Amino acid sequence: MSNKLSSIKVESPLQYFHRRTSHQSQVAAVNGTELFNGDAEFALVVKEAPICTHLNLRGDGRDDGFSAGVSEVLGIPLPTEPGHYHCNHEHSLYWLGPDEWMLVSQAGALTLEAALRQRLTGHISIVDLSGGQTLINMRGSNTAVQTMLKKSSVYDFAGWPSAQTDKGCCVQTTFAKATAVVSNKSDGSFDLIIRRSFADYIARWLLDAGQEFGCRIEG
Amino acid sequence: MNQVNRLSAVEGTRTRIDGTVPINFTFNGKQLQGVAGDTLASALLANGVKVVGRSFKYSRPRGIVGHGAEEPNAIMQIGSGAATVPNLKATQVELYEGLEAASVNGWPSVNFDLMSISGWFGRLMPPGFYYKTFMYPAKLWMTYEHFIRKAAGLGSTPVQSDPDSYDKLNQHCDVLVVGAGPAGLVAAREAARAGARVIVADEQNEFGGSLLASTQTIDGQLAVDWVADLVAELNGFDNVQTLPRSTVFGYYDHNFLGILERRTDHLGISAAAGSRQRMHRVRAKQVILAAGAFERPLVFAHNDIPGVMQASSVSTYVNRYGVAPGSRLVLFTTNDNAYQTAIDWHRAGRQVVAIVDSRSQPKGDIVAAVKGLGIEVMAGHGVIEAQGGKRVKRALVARLNAQGADIVGPVETLACDLIACSGGWSPAIHLSSHTGAKPVWDDSIVGFRPGKSKQQERSVGACAGTYALSGCLDDGARAGAEAAKLAGHGDGKLYFPSAAVEEYKEQPQQALFLVPHSKKTSRAPSQFVDMQLDVSASGIELAVREGFESVEHIKRYTAMGFGTDQGKLGNINGMAILANALGQSIPETGTTIFRPSYTPTTFGAIAGRDIGELFDPERYTAMHRWHAEQGAEFEDVGQWKRPWYFPHVGESMHQAVNRECLAVRKSVGILDASTLGKIDIQGPDAAEFITRMYTNSYLKLALGKCRYGVMLKEDGMIFDDGVCACLGDNHYLMFTTTGGAAGVLAWLELWQQTEWPHLNVYFTSVTDHWTTATITGPNARKVLAKVCGDIELANDEFKFMDWRDGTVAGVAARIFRISFTGELTYEINVPAHYGRHIWEALIAAGEEFGITPYGTETMHVLRAEKGFIIVGQDTDGSMTPADMNMDWVVGKNKTFSFIGKRSLQRSDSVRENRKQLVGLKTIDANTVLPEGAQVVFDAKQAIPMSMQGHVTSSYYSANLGHSIALAVVKGGHSREGQIVHCPLADGRTIAAEIVSSVFYDPKGERQNVE
Repeated sequence: MSNKLSSIKVESPLQYFHRRTSHQSQVAAVNGTELFNGDAEFALVVKEAPICTHLNLRGDGRDDGFSAGVSEVLGIPLPTEPGHYHCNHEHSLYWLGPDEWMLVSQAGALTLEAALRQRLTGHISIVDLSGGQTLINMRGSNTAVQTMLKKSSVYDFAGWPSAQTDKGCCVQTTFAKATAVVSNKSDGSFDLIIRRSFADYIARWLLDAGQEFGCRIEG
Repeated sequence: MNQVNRLSAVEGTRTRIDGTVPINFTFNGKQLQGVAGDTLASALLANGVKVVGRSFKYSRPRGIVGHGAEEPNAIMQIGSGAATVPNLKATQVELYEGLEAASVNGWPSVNFDLMSISGWFGRLMPPGFYYKTFMYPAKLWMTYEHFIRKAAGLGSTPVQSDPDSYDKLNQHCDVLVVGAGPAGLVAAREAARAGARVIVADEQNEFGGSLLASTQTIDGQLAVDWVADLVAELNGFDNVQTLPRSTVFGYYDHNFLGILERRTDHLGISAAAGSRQRMHRVRAKQVILAAGAFERPLVFAHNDIPGVMQASSVSTYVNRYGVAPGSRLVLFTTNDNAYQTAIDWHRAGRQVVAIVDSRSQPKGDIVAAVKGLGIEVMAGHGVIEAQGGKRVKRALVARLNAQGADIVGPVETLACDLIACSGGWSPAIHLSSHTGAKPVWDDSIVGFRPGKSKQQERSVGACAGTYALSGCLDDGARAGAEAAKLAGHGDGKLYFPSAAVEEYKEQPQQALFLVPHSKKTSRAPSQFVDMQLDVSASGIELAVREGFESVEHIKRYTAMGFGTDQGKLGNINGMAILANALGQSIPETGTTIFRPSYTPTTFGAIAGRDIGELFDPERYTAMHRWHAEQGAEFEDVGQWKRPWYFPHVGESMHQAVNRECLAVRKSVGILDASTLGKIDIQGPDAAEFITRMYTNSYLKLALGKCRYGVMLKEDGMIFDDGVCACLGDNHYLMFTTTGGAAGVLAWLELWQQTEWPHLNVYFTSVTDHWTTATITGPNARKVLAKVCGDIELANDEFKFMDWRDGTVAGVAARIFRISFTGELTYEINVPAHYGRHIWEALIAAGEEFGITPYGTETMHVLRAEKGFIIVGQDTDGSMTPADMNMDWVVGKNKTFSFIGKRSLQRSDSVRENRKQLVGLKTIDANTVLPEGAQVVFDAKQAIPMSMQGHVTSSYYSANLGHSIALAVVKGGHSREGQIVHCPLADGRTIAAEIVSSVFYDPKGERQNVE
């Protein structure tokens, strides 16, 4: 089985942008090959997380059975306060609406969905979106990160309180001319969950907008 | 040094220039030199340049009048080539090394103007000249317009694309302070100290506003030093963002404001790195408008001769830039405030010929101070006319009556080369006006104050009509604390003590909007109101005589305030002259309302980085790189890039598409169908909900089965189509068209949330999650069998319109046996991370069968051969299922209605002779009809012909060996066998026979090939 799997080519949405940088002139200077020379020149680093599980979860947030069931399976409380996420070492659960959450997890999609379905009853929906999204982390100098966010979205990210290790703020909003679920992290960086088909556009946008600080993308 | 008007240091003032740093620039091709800190205007004045442009209509020579956004004359083309920018005001252009400036008006040169010499042209252009002179014949309008524009010289736009970069930032703050003069600075400090997030924006290169040219002291400090300390203090706050060179150009609903920040303009165009200009889109909780005021010019005969300037501008050039724009000054004023200009001029060592004060008994402290300097004050007098050609030589002065309405004494002549004027001040109420607040006339300040606030804003300082420095500082501080409190910071108390200011107590000013002349206005030499558009007092009076009464009509008839300066100088005088001509008060006459932009805003900044490849997102499928590597040509479908066709080397599109089409029908082809919209639907009422959306029923759709459906809007017209599959209990997957995906999801949500919230159903887009590789053709099953071992693929096991879960090339996949080509087809879906893997595995497995990747063009041809419609191509929002010959898809016996059902029974929906889908077969097999061609029944009918329909899809079919087309034709379903004609724009008329829309395999046998 493992042999068979290793021959399967897996491509993340930003696969073709790993190790690309905003320094276009230097890329050209080294004959079209991509330049990648460490953090020094880049005040902004965008790193795509390894492929993992993304589930869209729908249910009634006011239903105690539903929220108890979710927290029992995941080991974290269901975020019901608008614009917040909860996380532990394995799962991050983002509030998207009164009846909608995004679950990003290191657990397998099938196993996790099965565990949730077994515990939850009533009108719910669980949809695997693992192939359709990717999570990227944006870190760097505070000025660079905040400027990038201001260039890309109308949302007031600077108005957020700092995140803690087990919770923070999140919002599903516009990002350039695409969409993203943006959240803050306790280390001061930001996570973005973006859609696969828009990933190339967003990567180009980030490299362009990050040019004034130096920006590179890591896999 | 050529800078003949440059002053050496003047005691008691500190200029903002650095005389030790020379800066070279050119004006109309002539090499000149200024110094660091100059604007283009101050450098031109320093060099003794008199004429900077020609006027719009009369081509009169014009000089610099102001020192900021109000400047009507010094309109420049800056730079050359791709980076040239038209219509910048020299007063707002910071000087940089190598700057190239040229007047936008005046050809062939500002000093020798053909139009002015010929002299006739201006007389052709009274107010309303467009309407009167160029009225007939209408067809010559384009010629007139071209001539007028060229003659007026509105600058030139570059023909190359802009080499500079522009970007946009979205900002949020508690308090936005507009203007960093005294009121704005203290307001920002109080708000910042209270803990509010503050943005302060000012259009000038440095903060300080009027204080940069002031000789006043604040707390014992020179004003400029006080400013420097305060700016440093502001920059020390983490919660303050200071934006110099940033114009707040528009105030929109919900406290949303636009700021244009000029980041590198002052460095020269070649120095531009990063963005040249940045648009700040600010959402502010509270706004403080501290935008200042414009000095009002005085309207007298030939007040447009170079050398007639604003009094405050003369002071600014002297105090801030160390430039004295002349030698012998006549100061003409209606108020105490302008006396300072005489003091500044005197202190600069230049001659003050006289102060001409329209008030009969000026008696303020500053009047006494001026007299103490030995300066003559001519009280109760007015400058009634300026004389000179390209420069003022004389001022004609006469005694006025107490109202300033008539001349009551002899005319005296004062020799001078500079007339500084002040008719009082007009608050800069533009931004307040943008909010919809109606300006209110106030006799006590002889000006319009901002009206009742419509948004979370307040005006302070000069833009609210408070002109004394002490008042500006007090009001500003209070507004800062109040705004912060309303935004949730502090309790509204002041943190800083009020500053001690030395200032003269001013006596009342006189309202004087039109200075009388010995001749009546209609006969007097032109008394200019709006210099940029050459509107004179007599022009306004003429407009009134011709019957115009409303200020809005007068504005349009005379073009007053239409220039790039938006009438910042002229409007108040113009309205007052209008009011007088109408015999009514100014409040009765009212004012025009200002709209954004406050000053012109570049298109580049509005576009930002949303240009080129970032203009619109390009959406890619997981196999995009493979397609690109194979040399695919791409087609835009919505935002998606879809392979259009895959040309081999040397192949034309036609050849490639023919090859692809034949390959599918003869063996097997492969299509990237990932872009189709996919919506996951879950919930106990899912089947019921879906059944209400489609025309047919899904209540009995069994697990493992698919069904094709058509969606209608309420009007009964086709809106989308696709296949829906039952995945499990209460679980469905809906396919939509590529372009319709977002619209269909929104449509489902709309009905669920607003009409049927009691139906328990959730929708989730899974378009991006699944990648779809479609293999189609008689050998499709053989290809699939090589990579899929765990699904029974036999015809009677895995039937047409079934789906199965299985493993393809080691990856869990969901396969749909549906068909858009009419051939045996498997649509293989895997999570997108495996997209390229599965694609390459299928290509390898299909190699022995010559598997051929094909694009959207071949897909279109193949489906047209089968008569399958494409929503949006063969339909246009006015087609019912019956029109498309698809009655079979409409469920007649559904228990609950479906959307659009009732509309299908409307008289218009059931009338005969509706346009109906048919096939067209051209008589000449090789002629391909153009899509969109009109269909007529009688080719010999005279124009206008009776149009009976149009071609919706048209291709050459390599499989059939002739061209095929789909068309909608009136009553088409009963016209099979008739000949119709398509007259084309090129004169040809193509004849075609109406045939069945199913050209190929009419019985549908091929998709069941063994």
